[in-house]
Amino acid sequence: MESENFERLLKICRLRLEPGEKEAIKKDIGDILDYFNTIEGVECDKYSPSYHPVSIAQKKRADKVEPFPDTASLLKNSKIYRFYVVGPKI
Amino acid sequence: MKGGIKEFLEKDRPEGYYEDLTKQLDKLNSRLHIFASINKDIDSGFPFSVKDNICVSGIESAASSRILKGYMPPFDATAVERLRGKDFGFLGKTKMDEFGFGTFGLNCDGHPLNPFDEKYITGGSSAGAAAAASVIKYHVSIAESTGGSISCPAAFCGVVGFTPTYGVISRYGIIDYASSLDKIGIMSRNSSDIRYVLDRIKGPDRYDTTCVDSKMGSEKAKKLVVIEQLLKKVDPEILSSFDKLLSKLQNMGYLVEHKSIPFIDKAIPAYYIISMAEASTNLARYTGFKYGLKVPDFAKGYNEFFTDARDSFSLEAKRRIVLGTFVRSASVKSRYYEKALRLRHMLIESLDAILKDGFMISPTMPIKTPKVLEAEKLGPVEAYSMDSITVPPNLAGLPHVSFPYDYLKGMPLGAQIVTKHFNDYALLDFVGKWEEQFDYKFKYDVGAL
Repeated sequence: MESENFERLLKICRLRLEPGEKEAIKKDIGDILDYFNTIEGVECDKYSPSYHPVSIAQKKRADKVEPFPDTASLLKNSKIYRFYVVGPKI
Repeated sequence: MKGGIKEFLEKDRPEGYYEDLTKQLDKLNSRLHIFASINKDIDSGFPFSVKDNICVSGIESAASSRILKGYMPPFDATAVERLRGKDFGFLGKTKMDEFGFGTFGLNCDGHPLNPFDEKYITGGSSAGAAAAASVIKYHVSIAESTGGSISCPAAFCGVVGFTPTYGVISRYGIIDYASSLDKIGIMSRNSSDIRYVLDRIKGPDRYDTTCVDSKMGSEKAKKLVVIEQLLKKVDPEILSSFDKLLSKLQNMGYLVEHKSIPFIDKAIPAYYIISMAEASTNLARYTGFKYGLKVPDFAKGYNEFFTDARDSFSLEAKRRIVLGTFVRSASVKSRYYEKALRLRHMLIESLDAILKDGFMISPTMPIKTPKVLEAEKLGPVEAYSMDSITVPPNLAGLPHVSFPYDYLKGMPLGAQIVTKHFNDYALLDFVGKWEEQFDYKFKYDVGAL
């Protein structure tokens, strides 16, 4: 992969790599993509993409409000201000 | 075979049994690093442990990742909730490769060691789950497999590892790796205990729309199919031992047939493309303020804040995020991601045809258990290719079991048996029959009565 494309990809991924990590991952990615490319010769275009390995019927839930008994527990893993989760600026 | 659960529940336990059990495990854990945490409050029931990527209410569930350190789920995964009660007691969380990213159980802080010999790996990613099943006399592990994370460590640690048909056990409460591949399964010292637990935890769940309510069968097969291509890179000593297993099974009345699926080796790249694509989106939820690790500087902009949080991922997680993001990108999506999905469909049809009237059997792993130092030296492509036998049934969502069938220089060997979708009980019947004439060996018997 070209350095420019690799840097762009890291930016999209929101990943910051140390120089040593960067070289290691870049080399690995080349090897792994070569490995991925081996599926190119497999003729499977007549098959539809399988988003799940088994057939799963569409399930719908009734569109009704249900009270959640313990909302406080959902906030325990975050920093809280009043009843808001505190996060970074957007 | 009676199985440990029924025997345990019928026996009287001495006073202080659970205290002694957790003390012994604590001591052993300082050497083998099996558990992320041990529940000292357990005081009743048949002990069960839970892989660290499955949520247990009020207990740190971090998928052995630094980015989730300190995360306390406010709820139980459905499988855990269904198991709690008068017959079962929660024993602890077991270590794993971070988020399931690994074949050897080495991708976490203080990785588990093989109970048969500490110089060797346990296999992964359900590393601690397999080791716990191996060392504790009365116990089951609730584990999880995406591409072989139950079969592989079950084989290396000499226990029975059951991976169900995709959707048979609710995924609610799993810390997702790849949603179309993740399956909760069970590891134990025998097939009877797995059946007991499966009966309790299977079935539809309103919290998981991919959980299916199909009736599971137990359609026996007389024919065992060996896929030629799966044996190509198998170690010669394992092949020789596997041939002896086939002879024994023939003596038990099974017919052995050899068949071919020429493209089956391409299941591994297809699996890694799909799993990395799904992982790269699933891991985007760890933003540094909602779960686990907290980035302290809220004055930073969102992108910088998010990037700071993601510094905590291991090198393997970063590699998978980069590749998963790449294979989903518009310019190459049809070449990698969509092609892999089509290949999965073709594989399912090929395997369905073979499994129509027989089981598929093979060694579980192509290699003997590697030493820690040997496994650490492998590059990613070499490591991924070790999943050559466990990936096909996982990619196709087919039920499979790894069971011990021999011991080579003191280390266990596992064989993998696969059947068609929803015929899960037939595999447990098969392994139960095997257990009637083959005694499994264990180095430890912690908690024996």
